[in-house]
Amino acid sequence: MLIILAKQEDEIAAWLAHRWQSHNAVLVSAADLSTSGWSLHLASPGKSRACVGGRDIRNEEINGVVTRIPRVGSEDLEHIVSSDRRYVAAEMTAFLLAWLSSLACPVLNRPTPSCLGGPIWRDEEWVHLASRLGIPVIPVRRKTPDDVPLPEVESACAVTVVGEACLGNAAEPLIKNARKLAKAAGTDLLSVRFTGSEADSAFVSASVWPNLSSPETADTVLQCLLEKSVC
Amino acid sequence: MLVLLWGLDGDSPLSEVRDQLNLLDVPTKFVDQRRVLETEIELVVGETVEGCIRIGNDNIDLGEVSAMYVRCYESARLPEIAATGPDSAAKQHAIQVDDILACWSELTSALVVNRFTASAANGSKPYQLEQIRGLGWGVPETLITTDADEARAFWKYHGEVIYKSVSGVRSRVSRLRAEHADRFADLSSCPTQFQQYIAGVDYRVHVVDDKVFACEVRCSADDYRYPENGAPDIRACTFTPDLEEKCRRMGAAMNLPLAGIDLRRTPQGEWYCFEVNPSPAFTYYEQITGQPISQAVALLLANAAPEYMPEARHGAASGSGRCGIKG
Repeated sequence: MLIILAKQEDEIAAWLAHRWQSHNAVLVSAADLSTSGWSLHLASPGKSRACVGGRDIRNEEINGVVTRIPRVGSEDLEHIVSSDRRYVAAEMTAFLLAWLSSLACPVLNRPTPSCLGGPIWRDEEWVHLASRLGIPVIPVRRKTPDDVPLPEVESACAVTVVGEACLGNAAEPLIKNARKLAKAAGTDLLSVRFTGSEADSAFVSASVWPNLSSPETADTVLQCLLEKSVC
Repeated sequence: MLVLLWGLDGDSPLSEVRDQLNLLDVPTKFVDQRRVLETEIELVVGETVEGCIRIGNDNIDLGEVSAMYVRCYESARLPEIAATGPDSAAKQHAIQVDDILACWSELTSALVVNRFTASAANGSKPYQLEQIRGLGWGVPETLITTDADEARAFWKYHGEVIYKSVSGVRSRVSRLRAEHADRFADLSSCPTQFQQYIAGVDYRVHVVDDKVFACEVRCSADDYRYPENGAPDIRACTFTPDLEEKCRRMGAAMNLPLAGIDLRRTPQGEWYCFEVNPSPAFTYYEQITGQPISQAVALLLANAAPEYMPEARHGAASGSGRCGIKG
C-alpha cells in the first residue's frame, strides 16, 4: 500500500492515488485521523496500526508515503468543534511527525520536527546552504517594513530531484548541484530553481514541494518509492 | 562581543540573565517583543549573512552579535497586536520581524540558546521521547491511539497509566481514572497519548552547556506544575558523575546548550526520562534552590567567542552586518 498524505481537496494527490491504484495508493487526510484504528506503540513499532481508506492495516503493510502537507491546520478539521480545532491540529501534527518517523518504508520526504514534508526552509536558508556548497547564488534580501521591494529574481529553469533521478532540461553542472543540495538537505524530493539552464546559472530557490502533476514526475516518484522499498 | 536577548520585557528567565550579564559588564541589546511595531529589521544572505535591527533610535549590527538568548513568543499573538485584526498591517509586520530574526538565528555562527530547529522536537512528545530513548535513557511505554479498545488494553496491561497531550499545547499530565472511561468514545476524534505510570521521585535537571543543576521534586500531584495540595518540595541535589555526564550528553546531542530535563527515579533506583524542555523557566527552581542557573546562562553567553562556537547549521560565515535601514 502507498499513502499520499495530503489535504482532502488536493487534486494532484487524488490524481496520484488514481495513477498508482495498482499499488493500492490511498489519499489520507487529516479527517482520516479522526477514525478509530490508529495506534502508535513507541516501544513496539510492530504493533502499530493505521486506518486507511476504511481498512485496518499494520505499518509493515505500508510500502511508501508521499507527504504533501507541512502540518495539519485548523482549516482541515471542519468536523471538529471550532473551539478545539487549533488544539486538535497541533495534536494531529505531533502524532504524524512521530508516526511518519516510525515507518521503515520510504517516506518522501522524511519529516523534520518543523515540517511533515521535510526541511521547509526559507529562501535565505536554501541560499545559505547552496553558497556553503560552492553553488553560485543570487543573494536574497528581506526587510521590514519593506519600503523598496527588490525585483523578483526570474528563475528560468527548474530541476526536480527524485531520489537518485533528476528531471529537467538543464546543463550537467546544474543537475549535479541540485543533487548536491538535496543530499546536503537530506531530502529525496526537491525542486531546485536556477536563473537559467546554462552551466553557469545561479541558484535561486528550492522547495520540498515539487510539482508532481506531470506523468513523468509521478512515474519517477513511484519508481523511487518502489526501489527504496526493495532496498 | 555583543549578546542579543529576544523576548518579552518582564519574562523572568530573560530578566535574570540580563541582570547577570549587566553584572558581568557584558554589552547586551534587548529585542523587546512588546516594541515589535517600532522594530525594523533587514537580512541579506548570499555568500555571507548580514543584518541589522533598529528599535527606535537603537541600531543593532547583527554582525557584532556573538551570542543570543531566545525566549520569544509569537509577537502576532500579543494582545496589542492581535487586537489589530487578523489581516492587519501590524500583524503582518510582527510576523515578518519574528520570521526574519528567527531566520538569522538559524544561520548565524553566533551561539544561539536555543536554535528553533533544535527546540522543535519538543513540539511532538513521542518524537522527542524516541530521541531520548535513542540516547540510552529509560522511557515509559507509550501508546498514541484513536482506538478505545487499544487504550483499554494498554490500561489493563499497565494497571496505572497517565494521559497527556501529544504536542506542546495544553501539556498537562493526568492519571487515567475510572471516571474517564465514559470519555473513551471521544478517542476516535483525535490521537491521544497514554503512558505507563512510573512511580517514583521527580527530578528537574538544568543543563547549561557543561554545568548540571539537579533538584529533587516531591509532590503528590500527577504533574507537580499543577499541585493540588500545596507547593511541591523542591531541593537541590547532586547527581553521580555518570548521571551528570549522561544529562550533559543529552543536551549536546539535541543541540541544546540550555535544557530542562524531566527525570523520575523509581524506588528500585531506575531512572526514566520524560521530556527535555528547550526553553525552561529555570528561575522557578533557582528561586527555591539558590542554584546559580541564570549566572551560568549569562556566563555561557558571555564566553561565546568565535573560536569556541559550534558550527552553525551550514557552517555560517557572518558578514560585516552593513545596515541598510535608514537611521
